[in-house]
Amino acid sequence: MVIARMSDVVKRYGTHLVLDNVSMEMGEGEIVGLLGPNGAGKTTLLYALTGLIGVDSGEIELFGRPLEDNPLETKGRIGFVTQEVSVFHDLTARENLEFFGGIYGLRGASLKQRVQQALETVGLTEYANRLPSRFSGGMSRRLNIACALVHEPELIIMDEPTVGVDPQSRRHILETVRELNRQGTTVLYTTHYMEEVQAIASRVIILDQGHIIAEGTISDLVEQIRHEERIRLEVTDVTEPLLQNLRSLEGVKGVTVEGRVVHITTQVGSGNLDRVLAAASKAGGVLWINAERPTLEDVFLTLTGKQLRDGGEE
Amino acid sequence: MTIFRFVLKRFLRNPANILLVTLLPIAVVFMPPSGWFPLPMGFQYFGMVLMFIAARMGTIVMEDRIKGTLLRIGLAPVKHSQYLWQTLAAFALILVGVSGIVVALGTAVHGNRLVAPGTLFLVFSCFSIASLGFSLAWFSLFRNREGAVATITGVIPLMMMLGGIMWPVQAMPSLFQRLAMLVPTYWLTKGLLSAADGARLLGLGLPLGLMLLYSAAFVLLGSMRRLI
Ligand SMILES: Nc1ncnc2c1ncn2[C@@H]1O[C@H](COP(=O)(O)OP(=O)(O)OP(=O)(O)O)[C@@H](O)[C@H]1O
Ligand SMILES: [Mg+2]
Repeated sequence: MVIARMSDVVKRYGTHLVLDNVSMEMGEGEIVGLLGPNGAGKTTLLYALTGLIGVDSGEIELFGRPLEDNPLETKGRIGFVTQEVSVFHDLTARENLEFFGGIYGLRGASLKQRVQQALETVGLTEYANRLPSRFSGGMSRRLNIACALVHEPELIIMDEPTVGVDPQSRRHILETVRELNRQGTTVLYTTHYMEEVQAIASRVIILDQGHIIAEGTISDLVEQIRHEERIRLEVTDVTEPLLQNLRSLEGVKGVTVEGRVVHITTQVGSGNLDRVLAAASKAGGVLWINAERPTLEDVFLTLTGKQLRDGGEE
Repeated sequence: MTIFRFVLKRFLRNPANILLVTLLPIAVVFMPPSGWFPLPMGFQYFGMVLMFIAARMGTIVMEDRIKGTLLRIGLAPVKHSQYLWQTLAAFALILVGVSGIVVALGTAVHGNRLVAPGTLFLVFSCFSIASLGFSLAWFSLFRNREGAVATITGVIPLMMMLGGIMWPVQAMPSLFQRLAMLVPTYWLTKGLLSAADGARLLGLGLPLGLMLLYSAAFVLLGSMRRLI
């Protein structure tokens, strides 16, 4: 089932075109990574998707129905982790969760139980009765996430949930996302950290200046931009028949030798790593083989001409 | 009623707020009789006290916007108007309680000079609700915290003057007399004077009704504001 769909969505702030004919789709059970440099329009996209802000044109569907059909009911099925930590500083962690559970309609024993569970999920049980003003950055972030989980949403939207947290909190957060996904929650995950997307996302959408400039699985994207892959093969004995054999493989563009190491340049996606390995094993002992592949970071750089993270924020 | 409950909890948790809602009203009770006004001076100015407390209460809206919790509420299945109504109801409960205590204490201190305490209580209660509507709308519409606090602090005494609390409306130029009818403080004055005059509940229908209407209009105005 399609959980979320945007078709040709346009959003302007004054004359500034922030979303430029954005179309995207998310299926049930996916973890989609939304990537884009600062000011790309990621947060605006998420706000538009949830109906928090109106759009100038285009259609938005959530859970198979147009957004405007029943916006309140739809909102109730979504959990949104805001980019800034937005919790009440005069309420304890537990009270914050009781508040947010309450406005999503939870009551009584089920509210209590859900609050307890959300606290456990983010590892804040022992700090439940403390005020978040005393929390570390990582703890605040975790509370910020818990506030979006307490009502057990079907779709979780996370807007840079790990900015400024320590590595341990980050691992915890990513593990939480994976666990929620295993339980059937669909996740839209915005981040500046390529490693995070690589670690959890099944699909990636890259947004730049309000355009979706690329979309697909990580390996799809990587193959889209790089046409070459370098294979480094170390064998016990470099023989002429082996080199002949390698040169004749389809998609191989060049073979050079350096001592016992053979460098092979080949087209990406040709599946040549397997064939190179087969040819080499037939010819004698393979000591080592590796393929240097472009990373998602390279994809991003190639497509946008920008680093994913600009300076300051780390 | 989650918002209602937590507004109460958050407000009463702050000791400064407790002092505000106890000390000021108690000071009101012990003020001497007034010059021209048919009620003790404290009761002449109690409306202003209520407005200032309501102004302080209204800052919660600005707080929630700055801290981003209002954004979160906007993402939840709750309308902005619901948020404002529940906030208003919670604060109204406190101010109506305070009005009740002040009138009761006033009766003990001033005896018969505090005429028609029951009616006075009703007038102050309705005015509390109007003041809260005004304050919530004010803090919903303003972007800048300091600016909003400074201007409302200046506007409240002006509304009191225009509404005829400090001197009779008839003492002002005719244009002001007509303008005065547009501020809820005018209807507070009307209500107090009629109550002191021994008016029955029916005779107070117009001022009480208008104060509640003002409150509703203010909240509607405030809920038109975009959340982000
Ligand atoms: N309320 C607003 N009024 C006017 N312009 C806005 C508003 N909100 C966002 N913008 C502009 O829209 C563009 C996209 O902003 P948005 O916050 O969606 O980017 P983002 O991709 O989330 O960036 P970041 O990575 O910094 O969070 C920016 O140029 C921003 O200045
Ligand atoms: Mg953003």
